[in-house]
Amino acid sequence: MIRNSEVKSILNRFPKFGDFSIGLEYAPRLPKGIIKETKEIVAYVRKFNDEVVRPNALPLDRKTHEDPDYLPYDLMKKANDWGLYTMWIPKMFGGKGKNLPSASFAIEEMASACVGIANVVMVHYLGFSSLLTSFNMRVTNRIIKDVLEGEKNGGPCLIAFAITEPGAGTDVEDMELVDRGKVVCRAERVNGGYVINGRKVFISMGHVSEWTVFYAYTDLKKPSQAMIELVVRKGTRGFSLGRHEDKMGQRVCPASEIIFDDCFIPDDQVLIDSYSIKKFTGRSQEEVMMKHFDMLASSSKAGVCAMGVGVARGALEEALKFASETEVKGKLLINHEWAQCLLAEMYKNVVLGRLAYIEANNANSHRGIYEMLQMKPIFYYLKYMPKSFFKMLSPMLNMNMTTWAMSTMYLHMKKSEDVNLTSGTSSLAKVAGSDLGIRNCQLAMDLMGEAGLRHDQGVEKRLRDSKLLQIYEGSNQMNRVTLFKGLIAPFFSQARVFNEGREDGI
Amino acid sequence: MIILLNEEMKSFEDLASSFASKELSPHREEGDRFPFGPFNNDILAKAHGVGFLCITLSEDLGGIGQGISALCVILECLCRMDASLGSIIFTSTLSQEIIIRAGREDVLRNITSSAGGPKDLLIAFPAYSNPSEHSSLPLATKGKNGPMLSGAVNYLVLAGIASRALIPARISGQDGYSFFLVDLSDAKVKISDPIFSLGLHACPAADVKLNNAEATLIGNEGEGKTYFEDASNMMNAAAAAMSLGIMRGAFEDALAYCNEREQGGWPIVNWSEMKMILADMAIKMNIANMAVSEACHAIEKKTYGWNVCAKAAALHVQESACHVTTDGIQALGGYGYMKDYGQEKRFRDAQQMKTLLGSSPMRKIEFIDQLNVEG
Repeated sequence: MIRNSEVKSILNRFPKFGDFSIGLEYAPRLPKGIIKETKEIVAYVRKFNDEVVRPNALPLDRKTHEDPDYLPYDLMKKANDWGLYTMWIPKMFGGKGKNLPSASFAIEEMASACVGIANVVMVHYLGFSSLLTSFNMRVTNRIIKDVLEGEKNGGPCLIAFAITEPGAGTDVEDMELVDRGKVVCRAERVNGGYVINGRKVFISMGHVSEWTVFYAYTDLKKPSQAMIELVVRKGTRGFSLGRHEDKMGQRVCPASEIIFDDCFIPDDQVLIDSYSIKKFTGRSQEEVMMKHFDMLASSSKAGVCAMGVGVARGALEEALKFASETEVKGKLLINHEWAQCLLAEMYKNVVLGRLAYIEANNANSHRGIYEMLQMKPIFYYLKYMPKSFFKMLSPMLNMNMTTWAMSTMYLHMKKSEDVNLTSGTSSLAKVAGSDLGIRNCQLAMDLMGEAGLRHDQGVEKRLRDSKLLQIYEGSNQMNRVTLFKGLIAPFFSQARVFNEGREDGI
Repeated sequence: MIILLNEEMKSFEDLASSFASKELSPHREEGDRFPFGPFNNDILAKAHGVGFLCITLSEDLGGIGQGISALCVILECLCRMDASLGSIIFTSTLSQEIIIRAGREDVLRNITSSAGGPKDLLIAFPAYSNPSEHSSLPLATKGKNGPMLSGAVNYLVLAGIASRALIPARISGQDGYSFFLVDLSDAKVKISDPIFSLGLHACPAADVKLNNAEATLIGNEGEGKTYFEDASNMMNAAAAAMSLGIMRGAFEDALAYCNEREQGGWPIVNWSEMKMILADMAIKMNIANMAVSEACHAIEKKTYGWNVCAKAAALHVQESACHVTTDGIQALGGYGYMKDYGQEKRFRDAQQMKTLLGSSPMRKIEFIDQLNVEG
């Protein structure tokens, strides 16, 4: 019928078959144990929702309006007691080691009850992922030990992630833009470490996290070649917390300004800098940082999609409840055909959004950051080996050789077409999930009319919460460009991204 | 607005714009804290001072005797800065227009002539619903001194600050509903704490329970639907004008920010995707402007189908305002989501306004039914 060589060449044409059939290709490699484990996690989080999230969602949101400086320590304590801050930390670091794609299902569940609380729990994993994708195993291992200790002694130890600067949001997320941006967070090399000066803004959970992973630049004129990743502990001299932002939604999860004023960060808190890049990868700083960001964002954007799906689902559940209890013109709303079509549209949005984050996670598992952990032998090995084995293994993580091996595998050897696929697919999911989330909230509000406007009904809060999803983890406009860059541009040699301005000499 | 064809309209625009800049702008974030912060009585008193609380009432009724065009011009200019005062004016004007259509100018004359302050002029109304859709309106019975109302009224806009309310209620044994004026200081009226809502925080609302509260019948028994529809047909243009004001404020702030904020080495207004977003906002705003202007023109000239024109304008402009304010936040990125900037408030206010005079799906269904009947 058709020769094998011809099949390969035809399927590699745009749109490339492998780019839109990731789940199909990944299915045979999926360890079956993941399904059982994911089911257990979803059930566990539903229980957490019943006992913690739902009873607190509206009262805490109201409380943050009464007292805009409120910080969610009680909530963090509960999430810590439920083991949620170590749930998705791999066993090699001493965590519970649940499969990483299952975090998206957990996020959807939590966000279906409250996106703000979902963020209080899950943005910690953005901090963790930024540690992990530095592949600096020694520093990561050290920070995670604190997180584990926090779980043991009942005092939550969270990790925040700080990249956005007052004058540079989108710019700092892509090496093509950063040199034209207005970054101010400066790192000066001194004996034994770096001295940092500058500010970061909109840092989720900044006020309440023990550790903050952040980026600074050794040369503000050429930041793409001078970006370094470090981690700072709360209370460090020269590190302080500024404004607690007054946001429209997700108010229970504080957004913070953080300030560095001659803050000394010792070498053992440097995750990536020019020396480690040279030592462990042999690639350019620009290339390594872009890969680091792409891998980090590939996992976090799937999470934002899951938040959007959660909001969309929560809005659907509220709308269904209202429609089945409320009469309009003498008939239950749920029996008006227009309402049935509206509810069906909302249901469709939830399912399509979910498929988007599942596919993004398939890409991460098949050809991205989760690839190693999701391999059948490694998955089962990690799952069934006793805790004592990992304790024994722990010192190995502090060896340069381990950092070298991981950096080589991911930052040096990872193929750019794999990075393009995971980055593009996760951006697709992020845009889809966040847009569908806000859409479902608006549809629910249309259906509920006057009742939907009231805080005590919950839907208006979901709408406020959902808008942020279109902004953080790269605005949806930025993510559309990333999608184009990863999934479309490689097939069109004429295509250039972020090129506007350059043509005009900017 | 396009309807600004004469000097009189221009003077209303200047007055309202100046009022918005001087009185609303400095207190916008503070006012939005209500019900967790104080209600700004001072702004209400100043609005009363310039005649904004009785725009469409004739001079002999104590108003400034203007039509729908002036009302729309004023509301648009106010809502460009902060829509809460506009919403207060809208609600009370809707009540006044219903009372006029019920032939009870005498009631309004008494209210305006005896008013000791702005709150005495305000008449609360459940402005986010169409009484015809409710199966549980309060019940009116005959008492010694006249009608008495019992039952609940949800989301009574201005309850808590207005002295009186115009309440739709059913009379036992009759079809349809009737309107009654109720004194909200009556001991038989229980007003809940202010409702904490999505938007328009500085336009308070509350749930009200009536337990044989004394009331005055407004118009004929069972004719409430006619009065409401007549008044709301006109007030649709005013609702659209408020949403237009919000859109204009969102666009202007977005454009100003995009000219200042840099990304990739130059102002973000230069990026073509941002131009597309701003263009979409501007196009929607200009079409809304035309729709409101045409609706005002049709209402004032009473051209054939004026009511359909006004209703279509409201539905279209309110929907557009939700899109424009969403983009208004997006243009400012993280800053747009923060309360220090006006964009997030506009997003909430626009969504809230979409429900004025009833839920948008039900209004759409009524719209097509109306078109079908009128051929």
